[in-house]
Amino acid sequence: MTAGTLTSVTAERLGDASPQLLAPGGTQWAKVSETTVSLAPTPLDAQPSAYVQTSWAGRPYGALASVGLSAVVAGDALYLRLRWAAAEPRQAISDNDTYADACAVLFPLDGKTAELATMGDERSPVQGWHWRAGTALPFVITATGLGTVSRVPDHPVSVGAAWENGSWSVAFKRGLGEQGVPLTAGASVPLGIAVWSGANSERAGLKAHTPAWLTLTLPK
Amino acid sequence: MATVSSRPARQLAMVFDLNKCLGCQSCSIACKTLWTDAPGMESMWWNIVNTMPGGGTPRDVFSHGGGYKNGEPVPGTFPPLREFGEAWGFDQEATFASGGKAAFRPLERDGSSPEWGPNWDEDMGGGQYPNSYFFYLQQICANCSKPACLEACPRTGLYRREEDGIILIDEERCHGYRFCAEACPYKRIYFNPGRVVAQKCIACYPRLEAGVAPACVRQCPGRVRHVDYMDNLEGHPYKLVHEWKVALPLRPDFGTEPNVFYVPPLAPPAFNEAGEFDETKPRIPDEYLREMFGPGVERALETIQVEREKSARGEPSELIDILIARDWNDLLGPFTANPAELDRPPRGG
Ligand code: SF4
Ligand code: SF4
Repeated sequence: MTAGTLTSVTAERLGDASPQLLAPGGTQWAKVSETTVSLAPTPLDAQPSAYVQTSWAGRPYGALASVGLSAVVAGDALYLRLRWAAAEPRQAISDNDTYADACAVLFPLDGKTAELATMGDERSPVQGWHWRAGTALPFVITATGLGTVSRVPDHPVSVGAAWENGSWSVAFKRGLGEQGVPLTAGASVPLGIAVWSGANSERAGLKAHTPAWLTLTLPK
Repeated sequence: MATVSSRPARQLAMVFDLNKCLGCQSCSIACKTLWTDAPGMESMWWNIVNTMPGGGTPRDVFSHGGGYKNGEPVPGTFPPLREFGEAWGFDQEATFASGGKAAFRPLERDGSSPEWGPNWDEDMGGGQYPNSYFFYLQQICANCSKPACLEACPRTGLYRREEDGIILIDEERCHGYRFCAEACPYKRIYFNPGRVVAQKCIACYPRLEAGVAPACVRQCPGRVRHVDYMDNLEGHPYKLVHEWKVALPLRPDFGTEPNVFYVPPLAPPAFNEAGEFDETKPRIPDEYLREMFGPGVERALETIQVEREKSARGEPSELIDILIARDWNDLLGPFTANPAELDRPPRGG
């Protein structure tokens, strides 16, 4: 694991023709470097609900300080793995008042520019890959502002997740040429990360996130 | 931010007469069979009738926060399923194999004995013999004019219909965050864990659109439930709420301006030690009724009493005529269509 916070990550190319990278704890990932990315709570006054602002005033959330990020291009697909400490994992929604752990990666929809703090706007939407514990398929979401997230019905993103030794590892996969955010060999794309702690009832905008875009560069 | 400032063009309203309810749960069953018989909805009772004073559904129903105080949202909680009451299982096998010796008991999902459920404390009520008392309270989404549920949702997962003010959850938008369920002070939102969406009473809007009254209204053998648009000045809700002022909002201190109103329970006076009525002492404590129905409750009860006495003397009383509803169809406002006679009947009867 690299010490300190980097704002730029370059995906490594993995020659293996049969990548098993959706097994996020698998041996192939052990060969891939991991970058520590700092997270911070989203601002409470930006939550688009007076109820949420009032009921979470003085109540900590988004306390996860960092997440490990690894990026690989194998075959013609990008794999992103997030790894973070979760001493009390919430692997599913088990009751009215329980929430599952979750994470997401976010990009400007055009792969170039969008406002991260507002989750995009009408002119420059964002797109995300969202995983929630207990679900086999990820959600692909687009947004044009806070509170506007909508799910894309059919999408090419897949996910694998495992909780082991007090940490979640979640790997997303998307083919480079497939529908969605442009992912081009040799090019860079802004990347945001968010993590929700189910044990702390975190959901919606209540999360730990990267306050600014990182830059993800894909190998040639 | 999701706020609801403007009023809808029309507002559907209901009045429930607490003096007529039998506690039969026909309303609850009508709703259950019509709307909540799908997987993930087993424990949902969008309409439920509870004995009051009592715990309600969920347990201690009015103590979970939500609503507004001085116009500001009040933090709330969404009690776990056990507190609403799970859809219990029954171990028929064990009872059968024991030759009937093993008790036939309801079981929670984890095999334990339930400690709460719908109308759990049925007919227990309050007060001491001979001054014990209770009434049945119908709990249902009140399609509030200031819907705390809708305003709490950070992603506009709920909306209000312009044509009748009914609050609906858009299950395509809902991501199951459950802020709405925390914010509803009446705890009338349920959670579907399989689909990860919030679900609640829909005021039978597909029936209304076909001119058919909501199932709970139509199935009520007690003629308890009146429905109409509030802007119909001849309609029962308008007459009972605004003209006669005998139908009151439940827990108006919650600040959501509900559109379901209740005719408060009129009990006989308390007995004194000699076993005679003491006309100066109410059976149901005034403070309790004021807490439940607001400051208008004494006047409402007085009006009902006066009109009842008039009626008993053989004098005409518009109020008593409305409350009796001799013609069943009068309860239904404009929604008198018989579902059995529609070309394409809506589901259920
Ligand atoms: S009763 Fe609760 S769920 Fe229904 S509109 Fe009012 S606040 Fe919303
Ligand atoms: S059907 Fe009518 S009488 Fe029976 S419990 Fe419901 S409201 Fe009361």
